[in-house]
Amino acid sequence: MVIGSLFRIAVSALRAHRLRSGLTLLGIIIGVTSVMTIISALEGMAGAIEDDLSRLGPSTFIVQRIAIITSEEMYWEKIKRKPINFDAVELIEKSCDLCEKISPRAFQSSRIKYGDQSLRDIFVLGATYNYVDIVDFEVAQGRFQSYEDDLYRRPVVFIGDMIRETFFEGLDPIGKEIKVGANRYTVIGVAKKRGSMFGHSQDDFVIIPLSVFSKQFGFPRRGLSLVIKAKSVDVLDDAMDQVRMVLRAQRHVPFDAPDDFDIVTADSILDLLNSLTKIFRMGLVGISSISVVVGGIVVMNIMMVSVTERTREIGIRKSVGARRRHILTQFLFEALALTLSGGLVGIFLGYVIAEALVGMIDMQITPSALAIIAGLSISTGTGLIFGIYPALKAARMDPIKALSYE
Amino acid sequence: MPLIETKNLWKTYQMGTEEVHALRGVSITIEKGEYVAIMGPSGSGKSTLMNLIGCLDTPSQGEYFLNSRKVSQMNDDELANIRNREIGFVFQTFNLLPRATALHNVELPLIYNGSSAQTRREKALHALDRVDLGDRVTHKPSELSGGQRQRVAMARALVNDPSLLLADEPTGNLDSKTSIEIMKLLDALHHQGNTIIIVTHEKDIAQHAHRVLSILDGQIAEDIIVPDHQRNGVH
Repeated sequence: MVIGSLFRIAVSALRAHRLRSGLTLLGIIIGVTSVMTIISALEGMAGAIEDDLSRLGPSTFIVQRIAIITSEEMYWEKIKRKPINFDAVELIEKSCDLCEKISPRAFQSSRIKYGDQSLRDIFVLGATYNYVDIVDFEVAQGRFQSYEDDLYRRPVVFIGDMIRETFFEGLDPIGKEIKVGANRYTVIGVAKKRGSMFGHSQDDFVIIPLSVFSKQFGFPRRGLSLVIKAKSVDVLDDAMDQVRMVLRAQRHVPFDAPDDFDIVTADSILDLLNSLTKIFRMGLVGISSISVVVGGIVVMNIMMVSVTERTREIGIRKSVGARRRHILTQFLFEALALTLSGGLVGIFLGYVIAEALVGMIDMQITPSALAIIAGLSISTGTGLIFGIYPALKAARMDPIKALSYE
Repeated sequence: MPLIETKNLWKTYQMGTEEVHALRGVSITIEKGEYVAIMGPSGSGKSTLMNLIGCLDTPSQGEYFLNSRKVSQMNDDELANIRNREIGFVFQTFNLLPRATALHNVELPLIYNGSSAQTRREKALHALDRVDLGDRVTHKPSELSGGQRQRVAMARALVNDPSLLLADEPTGNLDSKTSIEIMKLLDALHHQGNTIIIVTHEKDIAQHAHRVLSILDGQIAEDIIVPDHQRNGVH
């Protein structure tokens, strides 16, 4: 009952000084907007990367000669490593009983042609028939390669949606012949569109059987990349250990030397990415928070002015029986009403701006609960922190001095 | 059982290094239903005494009982509670909230004791009726005359049915015609059974009361019962 009245008093005081309240609000709006924009944009990017990595599935890991490079020294160190060969695949298949599926693959960048049209720098992936079962991508049209395609080295190709769009818009691509490098391939299927990330299309690939790939391009210089699916998420770590043991033995790694190959999971990539960008992200949020602090100081300043201006009002209220906490609450509500309404506008604006920014690099964001909670708590916190001192000053006034204040 | 009983009240202010004794041992007793004027020149300590009686301040020494409750050692919030329930103030400068309507100004004391919106409105309207301002409830102070403003302040003082009406120079800012009108209203309120204390330096005003306490240099100089035939105002 009292609280409701105090809240109405606070709001009507703010209404009485519309311009002043509006300008004060502006400080908070700018502050919260900048924090919100940064948080939303960062969240959006993290979400997009996470989505992309989740294609691997939780029980899948990748073994490669080099998977992660975070420094120049690391590059020069890892570049000396031996490639992973077909013997390794055979050994793992034999010795890793926790591995459900192993799909070796190799990459090459090449030109592809259809009729007189051509595309340069297309990602050519040599893979086995079970690749489609391990990596989560959907077949939109036709089929993926079969065991026999690989076994009999059939020149068949499975294409990304960007290739279909460029070469076969309005046509049925199945059965058409395209040239990958110098050789001819028959299109057997099309992958579902994956869209783009950070402005790069993720659909500019073709997949051919690994046997055919080796025949055409030779054994890949960088070695094979193994995509391995463990029998379940629970045995993922054990399966990774089994693979590690096999590879270390095959590659004669001394017992006290580190692995001379990389094993990564979707989670480990995500963790690494997060830890690498952590300082950067915290820095961004930190810098944008400065404007909230500035906004908070503006609120505090205005509240100090307001308390001084209304000394007599405080005296009147006290003389008719307002307690300290009544006065405290009234002025705290004023500060909170300012920062919270500024915060709400800031959350909205921040989201709109982040949407526009992220839209420029072909990603979408959804308003995340984290960003909204952060925005609300930032504005509430600002109101409380910067509003408490003026409110205490008001609450502690001596009624006699306040009443005689001119 | 007296309404007000003070025992040897002292109030000392520290002015730099010097101690100023605004009150030097004031002991008074005021019964329920009395109409008392506190008189004295400026600097005599009458405002200090009024602040103590009105529970706006606490004494440096001595005891003060209001309705048998010892208020001289209460803290800020307890005093606020007493002011809210027991005391109605009428000030020389009216002390109304300038942006609030007459009705809202009168409702003010009720906000702080948690009365419902409906009770507040009913009581405030009733109080405004008692001061003949039933037709001015939505006016703001700036839209009212000085006398009307003081009557709004009196309605505010009455709204909680206090034990004591404390008027500090209630006619100080009013012309003589309006002053008479306000004093008539105070006389009528006394007639209805309210206990009233007026602080004033004007003899005319003081002579509306039944008892005049003269204060000089922080002490009670005289305590006189005014005979009926010497009193001003209607009876």
